[in-house]
Amino acid sequence: MDIIRCITQNKLAPLVFLALGVFCFIPAETVLAQERHNHDTATQILAPGYRVLEYAAPEPGAYKLPPSGKAGNGLILDENGRERLLDEFFGDKYVVLSFIYTNCNDVNGCPLATFVLGQLQQRLAEDAKLKDHVRMISISFDPDFDSPAIMAKYGKQFNRNNFDWRFLTTKSTRQLQPILRGFNQPIQKEYNENGEYAGVISHILRVFLIDKTRQVRNIYSVSFLHPDTVISDIKTLAMEDEAEGYAVSDVANGLRKHGTGDDKDGYETESYRTNTKSLLSRQGETTDLMKTVKQPPLGLPGITIPENNPITRKKIQLGKQLFFDRRLSYNNTLSCAMCHIPEQGFTSQELATAVGVEGRTVRRNAPTLYNVGFARNLFHDARENSLEQQVWIPLLAHNEMANPAVGFVIEKLKSITEYTDKFEQAFHGKGPGMETTGMALASYQRTLNSANAPFDRWYYGQDSKAMDEQAITGFELFTGKARCVSCHAINKDYALFTDHKLHNTGIGYLNSMGSQDDKQQVIVAPGARLTIDSDVVAEASEPEPNDLGYYEITGNPDDRWKYKTPTLRNISLTAPYMHNGSLGTLKQVIEFYNQGGVKNELLDPLIQPLKLEKEETGALIAFLNALTGSNVDELIADAFAQPVGNVKQ
Amino acid sequence: MKQMSKPICVAFSIFLMAIAPIASSDETCMSPYMAKIVGQEDFVYVWTLGMEGVGDQQDKLVTVDVNPQSGNYGKIINTLSVGGRNEAHHSGLTDDRRYLWAAGLDTSKIFIFDIHTDPAKPRLHKTITNFVSASGGVVGPHTTYALPGKMLVTGLSNDKDHGGRTGMVEYTNDGDYIATYWMPTDENLYGAVKAGKLADGYGYDVRVLPRRNVMITSSFTGWNNYMMDLGKMMADPEAMKRFGNTVVIWDLHKRQPKKVLDVPGAPLEVRCAWGARNNYCFTSTALTSKIWLIYEDDTGDWHAKPVADIGEAEKIPLPVDISIAADDSLLWVDTWNDGMTRLFDISDPHNAKEIYTEKIGAQINMLSQSWDGKRVYFTSSLLSNWDKKQGEDGDVQYFKAYTWDGKKLTKQFSIDFIKAKLGMPHQMRFGSYALYAKNRPAEVDISVAANP
Repeated sequence: MDIIRCITQNKLAPLVFLALGVFCFIPAETVLAQERHNHDTATQILAPGYRVLEYAAPEPGAYKLPPSGKAGNGLILDENGRERLLDEFFGDKYVVLSFIYTNCNDVNGCPLATFVLGQLQQRLAEDAKLKDHVRMISISFDPDFDSPAIMAKYGKQFNRNNFDWRFLTTKSTRQLQPILRGFNQPIQKEYNENGEYAGVISHILRVFLIDKTRQVRNIYSVSFLHPDTVISDIKTLAMEDEAEGYAVSDVANGLRKHGTGDDKDGYETESYRTNTKSLLSRQGETTDLMKTVKQPPLGLPGITIPENNPITRKKIQLGKQLFFDRRLSYNNTLSCAMCHIPEQGFTSQELATAVGVEGRTVRRNAPTLYNVGFARNLFHDARENSLEQQVWIPLLAHNEMANPAVGFVIEKLKSITEYTDKFEQAFHGKGPGMETTGMALASYQRTLNSANAPFDRWYYGQDSKAMDEQAITGFELFTGKARCVSCHAINKDYALFTDHKLHNTGIGYLNSMGSQDDKQQVIVAPGARLTIDSDVVAEASEPEPNDLGYYEITGNPDDRWKYKTPTLRNISLTAPYMHNGSLGTLKQVIEFYNQGGVKNELLDPLIQPLKLEKEETGALIAFLNALTGSNVDELIADAFAQPVGNVKQ
Repeated sequence: MKQMSKPICVAFSIFLMAIAPIASSDETCMSPYMAKIVGQEDFVYVWTLGMEGVGDQQDKLVTVDVNPQSGNYGKIINTLSVGGRNEAHHSGLTDDRRYLWAAGLDTSKIFIFDIHTDPAKPRLHKTITNFVSASGGVVGPHTTYALPGKMLVTGLSNDKDHGGRTGMVEYTNDGDYIATYWMPTDENLYGAVKAGKLADGYGYDVRVLPRRNVMITSSFTGWNNYMMDLGKMMADPEAMKRFGNTVVIWDLHKRQPKKVLDVPGAPLEVRCAWGARNNYCFTSTALTSKIWLIYEDDTGDWHAKPVADIGEAEKIPLPVDISIAADDSLLWVDTWNDGMTRLFDISDPHNAKEIYTEKIGAQINMLSQSWDGKRVYFTSSLLSNWDKKQGEDGDVQYFKAYTWDGKKLTKQFSIDFIKAKLGMPHQMRFGSYALYAKNRPAEVDISVAANP
């Protein structure tokens, strides 16, 4: 029922809305609220279905009506009392179905549905194209009273020109139940104080539009049941059937792959404009990753493959599938790729330091995985030296993927059917295990080799035009005055831009030993900064965790605040920088080194003030930008082609 | 059937603005398609986050008896643990009000509770565990909003980068997936126009104005931010750029975005006016601390404009839940960081004025009021890693019941959710026997039931 029902022991005087034909018993306090609220006139009281639609009806075909499940079914009685399956009335036509009962006197309930169906009948009868393709069905809620004869008589009041409008009922309340359940249409019979049926069946008004495949395509309620919208919807279904597979396109294509899809470049200024990519355009194409291993791009050395884990395409594919599977974390929320995001340089450009399961704080910036196969040691503190072993640390870390045990991960992998054959095929019959999981993930990571950058073509390929003048100046500074090359090494035949060593630049020292400013600048919207007291959210924040770098591995006080020299390949794709992501741009990084890092007793002697001019900084940035590999979009497209693993049921 | 034990008025599926002479308050914030409680509510269902080190540490639905005529008034009469910490956040009722959908922002699970079989003792009816895969990658189900026979679920994030780009997902009342609607981005606006400079593709809340065929969504932030420690996030300049700055006006019938409005600073809850000609809604921006009016002009075009400041932005008051009064004259605004609730006069919607404030606790988030506005309930928790670790007098995690006499709030009772070993209370929804033509059973001693 679509009226207000009030049931009260206090026997408050009933208020009768004669204009509505609705009987409503309302406690006094509610009446007051009603008067206060209902400042509009009685002309507004009828449901929209009775009135002219207040807005333009949707244009047929300009939208989709996704199926929301199969129409209900069950035994019914037609107007002649013949028992039939409701399903027989579906399939050949579009069906508009409503539940009513003939005694219903709520003007915005069953009479509304019947009124709208009546309007539809009239409109459809005038539509040569549609009139033979639509059936309307009114089914009674009240089989005890609404016999086939009563329904037939009732129907005659409304039916015009033999339109296909059926008035059906059921043998009993029991027989009605499966149909109501099928349409998810609960009802409540109202009883009076003596336990007698009060003649009112309360229900949520729902009218259903059913297509020719028996799928429910729309459900109308009091507030938007209107002949105009129902007609538009029927036409939309008809157009869809004519077009066979008509669909509104969701996908836009043709943009570059790399870079965060949620571009915030210039967010600090009021003139910021979004340049947001559609998630659906994040589509790609699988590539043969083996080629980056067999023949690494120009500028990279040959890759060393461990003897006990020869690389194969099956292992690479399995490793890739695991890499993108969020089920690899304890609560199915994090995959490797959620922190090492392909289009964000296989790191996260949106976070200084990573966030683990349940939002737990990770102290360090997710390192890029480009060319990780060439790394002699892993993690910012160099604590691991094998990719096969490394994978288990984030899998088990409480503040990363948080799995409670190796066995937990293995058993989970065994339970996921998508992996059943793949391990055995990749590992000669071996299933998921500590060793095979590590080997598969390591194999995929060893393919993320990216070079043949403008620098490589210029330096190793002897293409003098591959880098512009500014970048060449930058190279000269890099290898000369700015002394970057002393740690970010360039070899004769290849360049990994790392010495594989650890250094104290002072940035870790600053974190541990520096004092916090009283004030903090926070950006709260594009171009809007606030200066806030640093302790304004102190009660809501955990203490910032300390980080002592390599010392945490060796226990040697001389190793405090030492971190590994990262590669610089694809550096323009892997912001923010430093082990703690504290520097957002390459300019800030160069300024940091230009001032000689942060002084401390363990500062690496290689770090000295550089006295770079402004244009020299620009040249260095130009050079660093020339380190972006030519195949990054190919590697990203390959990653995009891999579906994300999620809980399926 | 026996008569009801007290006055109760229930309205079913009412086109409230036009037909029904009613509205409500917690109820005012809910779907117009939904059955309403317009008299004394019997219960408040509190969707509660599990907390490490507290009780059984897992998310739970807590039922509080709030009927002053009940012997159990002010007591917890039931708790139902669901397993795990899912970042319990918002919940919503189906249009027939038989089921309560409660979502977890972290694990993206949706717990569907049967609240009609025994309104005093909700049962877990079904758990949707494949929300992410079914939706094509939407993460962080937030608002669960009743449409006729269906539920619309807003998302906050995605399974590709855990950022703020996301979509909305439609389900049947049975919990079967129907469709995903992606929020408009520059690359694919789905036919919408940008009113300003922004189309971020973020999501948060949704409300509808059926008679205008309009649906309105707001925008918060992605998993990375809403899951991480608040201090860590505020110190991370990149993370702070990842907040929503848009409100989207949709064609409700087509489920297509029409216009993207610039509303900078994380617009959160959307509350629409009920008056038959009041074609506007309010939202508040969490970071820029303003009330915004989202309104339709005479030509049918939609706009957004700030209509009041909420406290001092520099102090990060962090406006969170808002609640509109039944007659569209008042708007409650909770500010999380200072624990205040603030009442604004919105009788001129273009010029909101703060007229009353009250400190409720060390922090505050949600509020729900009875439909007549006389009873107001508050809870404390915002997000598990944003909440205060300690507060004055330990008054951090609570459910509090107040009365409002038109001039002041008066506390009726308070439940300390830490002392009760429950966790962090978040969203409240009302329950009533009368919705299901049921009677309140003879009073029983529930002291055992509270701690199963």
